[in-house]
Amino acid sequence: MARSSVLRSTAWLWFLATVAVLVVGFRQAIFLVPMEETMGNLQRIFYYHLPHAVLGLIFPYVNLVASLGFLYWRRRDPLKALTADALAVASAEVTVLYVGICLGTGMLWGKPAWGIWWAWDARLTTALILWLIYVSYLLLRRFSPAGQIGVLAAVLAVFAAIDVPIVYMSIQWWRTQHPAPVFGPNGGGIDPRFLPAVFWNLAGWAMWGIFLIAFRFALERRRQIAEQDAALQALEASLETPQ
Amino acid sequence: MTWKTFFDFSTMAHRHLVFVYVGVWTLQGGYLAWTAYNWRKIRSPRA
Repeated sequence: MARSSVLRSTAWLWFLATVAVLVVGFRQAIFLVPMEETMGNLQRIFYYHLPHAVLGLIFPYVNLVASLGFLYWRRRDPLKALTADALAVASAEVTVLYVGICLGTGMLWGKPAWGIWWAWDARLTTALILWLIYVSYLLLRRFSPAGQIGVLAAVLAVFAAIDVPIVYMSIQWWRTQHPAPVFGPNGGGIDPRFLPAVFWNLAGWAMWGIFLIAFRFALERRRQIAEQDAALQALEASLETPQ
Repeated sequence: MTWKTFFDFSTMAHRHLVFVYVGVWTLQGGYLAWTAYNWRKIRSPRA
């Protein structure tokens, strides 16, 4: 009881801190950092696009680690395997959300900047494939036969994770329509006056994503426990002998 | 930039800027609301 109360308080504190950081990030992005000379105010889309793009390539690894944990524990320790499976589904849903937002914000930037909504270049195409793989992961979980869901999904998660480094390296391996990298050893760099907006939003959306994964994980655990209790009650009812 | 220029819908660039910021908050908030709704719907049986 005390542990659950501490968890609840921590979750609320984390949520409030996250909202505060996101409000600061919004203020930095819209009101404080100067307008970029070439693109004007359209460039401010970048402050929401970049965090979702970066985090959309990190959360799949949470899914991968959880899926590998599920495969390892499924015969050795089924209870741990169920916990790993709950983390896998939570991280997969948040990955779909983040990669989807990355694609959507990119398209809303591309139309005024390039004059087109979409280009079949390497970065956009590999990111779309990543999103489709995780959508198919969730559909597989939704429609595959009970009892096999965890194993099938975990195997698909391993293949999905292979696309992540391809998405990341695509703008280095191929010359694409997508702008060249900004950060990193081969990055073009960014005017230091824009950095507060980048880092506040990166921190805020990272904290938000962690909160969503934790909340969705707790929900999935609650659903699993409710399912186990219902199965146990059904078993007990079937064992009762009529008087 | 001010609130007034943020909600300036005169050009496609300005409209898309608003769509991105409003859209991201709507989608993220929607997912959180869906999770919270299911959290309330599935009562913890061992509570």
